[in-house]
Amino acid sequence: MMDPSEEIEADLHRLTNLAPDPDEEWPLPPSAERIESKVLRIGDLLSWIWLILMGVIVLNVILRYAFARGYIELEELQWHLYAVGFLVGLSYALTHDRHVRVDFLREKMSIRHRAWIELYGLLLLVLPFLLLVTLSAVPFVTDAWQYGEVSSSAGGLPGRWIIKASLPLAMLLVAVAATGRLIRVGTELFGPDPEYAERPHGEH
Amino acid sequence: MEIREWLAIAMFVLFIALIFTGFPVAWVLGGLAVFFTALAIILEQDIGFYTGVDWAYSSLAVERIWDIMHNWVLVALPMFVLMGLLLDRSGVAGDLMRSVARLFGRVPGGLAVTITLIGILLAATTGIIGASVVLLALLGLPVMLREGYKPELATGTICAVGTLGILIPPSIMLVLMADRLAMSVGDLFLGALFPGLLLGILYTTYIIIYAQMRPLDAPVPREVAPLDRGAIREVLGATLPAAGLILAVLGSIFFGVATPTEASGVGALGALLLARAKKRLPKSVLQEVLRETTRTTGYIFGIFVGATVYSLVLRGLGGDLLISSALLGLPFGPTGTVITILMVTFLLGFVLDWIEITLIVLPLVAPVVSHLGFDLVWFTVLFAVCLQTSFLTPPVGFALFYLKGVAPKEIDVPTIYRGVIPYILLQIGGIAMIFAWPSLVTWLPAMAYGP
Repeated sequence: MMDPSEEIEADLHRLTNLAPDPDEEWPLPPSAERIESKVLRIGDLLSWIWLILMGVIVLNVILRYAFARGYIELEELQWHLYAVGFLVGLSYALTHDRHVRVDFLREKMSIRHRAWIELYGLLLLVLPFLLLVTLSAVPFVTDAWQYGEVSSSAGGLPGRWIIKASLPLAMLLVAVAATGRLIRVGTELFGPDPEYAERPHGEH
Repeated sequence: MEIREWLAIAMFVLFIALIFTGFPVAWVLGGLAVFFTALAIILEQDIGFYTGVDWAYSSLAVERIWDIMHNWVLVALPMFVLMGLLLDRSGVAGDLMRSVARLFGRVPGGLAVTITLIGILLAATTGIIGASVVLLALLGLPVMLREGYKPELATGTICAVGTLGILIPPSIMLVLMADRLAMSVGDLFLGALFPGLLLGILYTTYIIIYAQMRPLDAPVPREVAPLDRGAIREVLGATLPAAGLILAVLGSIFFGVATPTEASGVGALGALLLARAKKRLPKSVLQEVLRETTRTTGYIFGIFVGATVYSLVLRGLGGDLLISSALLGLPFGPTGTVITILMVTFLLGFVLDWIEITLIVLPLVAPVVSHLGFDLVWFTVLFAVCLQTSFLTPPVGFALFYLKGVAPKEIDVPTIYRGVIPYILLQIGGIAMIFAWPSLVTWLPAMAYGP
């Protein structure tokens, strides 16, 4: 029998390698690497939010059941944390190439064919969508700021514009992640610079 | 038909066509929403057709995304993901498998029964088909093949049990379905409990009968450690905490003691402490678990955000009325209409994951079913079982591909196909039973919240 920790390591390795590592799919020129490493660092850092969220929920439960006290602030803080977490996850999942694809036809395509699809998809689907949401979110945030919108429940959190602002910010972060990917796909299609293709891939 | 209805149809057809390019579903949904808004504006302003959609309308997208952001029930979703990942990645799941195998491993078919039990217990916490099929395959497939199990039985069992996880509470799919239909999560969990267990019992019965008839295809392991007091203590030590945790989480939701959100947070803490107590959670694993939670949450909510905006524009074009009038116009009567919807769902499950179907299709058909006078919890559970069956069905069921990805090379696709066929028949049996006896679903919620 294998040593348990070795076994976990092996399991982990296989589990995390289920999705093709984006590094292996497209070339990674230094400019794209710089961009993507920022997205990844933000995602890595903000992943701790789930631990904080867990702590807030547990605290809220203890206060409610042990001391019969409910705090609206704590409940609102929960969805604030969750919203920031999933919004950051959008760009993090994009750079890790974890957004769900229906890939049984894709598996049979050549790498160039995939690159063209990726290029058109990023330009015609992702960017217009980000533009729509970001532009519509600006008045949404500025209104909240201008009118000093606060939680409608008594004891709720103030400064609602802050959490609302996380939406356009997250969309910008997705745009950054998409730019990194565009550079990589563009390099594959238009800049067959062997220096990039053979560079050792950067650590994240 | 009006031009806007043609637009709605084109929007749906184009969606199905574009996802086959392999571009991420989330962005196909969001991008199409923008594209069709632009198209509708051009048709209305330049040509003079009424479409009902303009930029002011589609900017409501932000309000809809905000509805997702300040949704307190959905906070449970990443917490259940975290809880499942903690149990999986820390190796607690593996301990559980090995211990239960020691108990049940000594009868013919025992290993397959073990997989079924573990799958029910653990998949309940993840509800992500890919993850649970892969986990069960890694834990159970090598052992079963080494002990001389017929590959068909081994792979079929893993696929079926791995997909059962989306049905058994506290599955994140049920959380999402309840949210979309403005239903109580507790009601849906309760409603899905008996049907989920029923399927588990059908699987187990099948395995036991199969093993009795063909002991050579499901043999007793050659070396079984004796079941002395020490072994029993070890088995209990490994199984009780994990089983207790999951039952406590479920129980507190069922008995209305805790909300799903509270239960999910406490459950995640329980899983964390369990992994810590077993010294299975070094910082590197915790870090990877948290990052994986962000990625998984990211892709689920990517589709959520895209689908919300897509549905907004589709509704703006009158797509929901189009579907409900088409469904209500079906000449099969109410029951026939429900069966038709379930059949279509089954077919859609070949190309779409449960997330897209839950977010786009379910909200469109549920009002029709409700209008026809059926119980919505019952229908949603049936809908879920149909989806599960779909993910199991060749040639394109998701579970089969996930399994193929991690199975040893000598297991080929036809073997997996042959392996799942008995389970598909069991699924059809299960669906028929739920259909014939709605009280399988409705009895428990009625009891829990009864007079």
